[in-house]
Amino acid sequence: MIFSKKKNPVDLTFSFITGIASVSVILITAGILYVLFKESSLSIERFGFFKFLTLVDWDPVKESFGAAAALYGTLITTVLALIIAIPVAVGIAIYVTEVAPNFLKGPVGIAIELLAAIPSIIYGMWGLFTLSPIMAKYIEPFLQRTVGKLPLVGILFEGTPLGIDFLTASMILGIMIIPFTASISRDAFNLTPAVVKESAYAVGATKWEVVKDIVLPYSKLGVFGGVAISLGRALGETMAVAFVLGNNNQITTSLFGAAATVTVKLANEFTEADKDIYLSSLYYLALLLFVMSFIVLAIAKFLLLKAERRYSR
Amino acid sequence: MRRERLRVIQSHAAFVVSTLTALFGIFWLVFIIGDILIHGIGALNIDLFIKDPAPAGVEGGGLRNAFVGHLMITLFATLIGVPVGVLGGTFLAEYARGKKIARFISILSDIMVSVPAIVVGTFVYAIIVKPLGHFSGWAGAVALAIIMIPVVLRTTEDMLSLVSWTVREAAFALGAPYYKVILQVVYRGAATGILTGILLSIARVTGEAAPLLFTSFNNSFFSTNMNEPIASLTVSIFQYAMGPYDSWHAQAWAAALMITVFILIITVLGRLIIKWRYKK
Repeated sequence: MIFSKKKNPVDLTFSFITGIASVSVILITAGILYVLFKESSLSIERFGFFKFLTLVDWDPVKESFGAAAALYGTLITTVLALIIAIPVAVGIAIYVTEVAPNFLKGPVGIAIELLAAIPSIIYGMWGLFTLSPIMAKYIEPFLQRTVGKLPLVGILFEGTPLGIDFLTASMILGIMIIPFTASISRDAFNLTPAVVKESAYAVGATKWEVVKDIVLPYSKLGVFGGVAISLGRALGETMAVAFVLGNNNQITTSLFGAAATVTVKLANEFTEADKDIYLSSLYYLALLLFVMSFIVLAIAKFLLLKAERRYSR
Repeated sequence: MRRERLRVIQSHAAFVVSTLTALFGIFWLVFIIGDILIHGIGALNIDLFIKDPAPAGVEGGGLRNAFVGHLMITLFATLIGVPVGVLGGTFLAEYARGKKIARFISILSDIMVSVPAIVVGTFVYAIIVKPLGHFSGWAGAVALAIIMIPVVLRTTEDMLSLVSWTVREAAFALGAPYYKVILQVVYRGAATGILTGILLSIARVTGEAAPLLFTSFNNSFFSTNMNEPIASLTVSIFQYAMGPYDSWHAQAWAAALMITVFILIITVLGRLIIKWRYKK
């Protein structure tokens, strides 16, 4: 660098201090990985990797712990939330970039970002007191009476609808991740060069054809990146689902069944774990969660960087 | 000409759908905020701020301990997290600008911003709570600080990078050493942006409950001792909302209202400042 030839001693100290501060991020990341691994070593020794992943039991009395039910819960809530969130989020992004009149673009964008700023515990509480009774009283019985009667999909809607179940939890989670996906998709849409869009208009494309054939293919990577970030967030979301999932350690095919996710289990049982193997198994769950979400988020970051590099030239 | 018409109709239909999705998103925002306002304002009273919790099941009482505890945890988290974040961001944007290590840390921070908060709670439990043998306000503050650091670090880096390089060159030309250039020229140019970033990061950690569950835990008595378990609004909301009493539910709504209003005001303020400072 230009100025490193003659170093002032204060400069050396300052660069050293700032250097340490920035390395703290690496230390924290490595520290989390190391500590989670160390704390779960007891459980890793006892249950191994594949047994822990496939064992449905979660029995503190018999000291038999497996992650299958919790992982299943995490997977189902996350996938359902994404199914709810992605179409809406992409629709919002299209609305904000292409459809909305100029005076509405700003306010709608801000409204969506406010939705992202509301803390997850508020979503969770609102879900418990407001959404869950509505689901139990109106929406879930309605679903049971209509689609629940169909063959094959019927098993998805079995049981008494109590509102404390997969469907409610996924709804809340979905509403929560809509803004993340929407705002990243909007940024990706905005990267499409105006010239390319204009040339499509010039050959007579309608507005929708421009969105469908020009903007969407152009911003594919960015949208995938946004979806991956939402996926990472949904995997690790605790408070929004803790209220309305019931922490019930079972694998159920019904959307109206209470269940548990990795995060819900941690939130409810961590301070109650009275045996070493119990706590260690909870740490094992935390380790799996950390590794999973880290990988997903790293992929998301990779996609977004690639999208940026390709189009911001 | 039939085909043309069809394409135009198709285009309009698609945009009606996209307008509906935007309305759908805004519907939830209005629903949630409206619901919190209605229930929260109904439950607000002066006791909430000046009284400590009544024994379980007894009417009355307030959340004074949780308000004070929450304030203290957030304050100390800010005191730990902000200096580390700002200095770290300075290193990435200045001394290590363009180097591989800066890029690596920057990307890693972006990932760590979204890492599950509850995992941070378990991490701090293992390194602070377990060795000390008890829950403590400090552990809660450290957990929040860990969540804050990558956020502040990335905003600082971005804001410093926005200060044009020629400004630094002008200062170098006057013979200023780099640290002086950073402290007196670059920081000044980026101050608004960095402060906004800090504000937004405070707003973000204020709503966190998951990392506090196993660190600062909860305390039904008034305490300002950071060495003991300390109550916080978010953990109180979790406990009260899941509890069986109607008076608890009302207090949970009121606490939720206070947190939401605080966060929304800071977020809107932050966006306005950024818009006013950088979009012109």
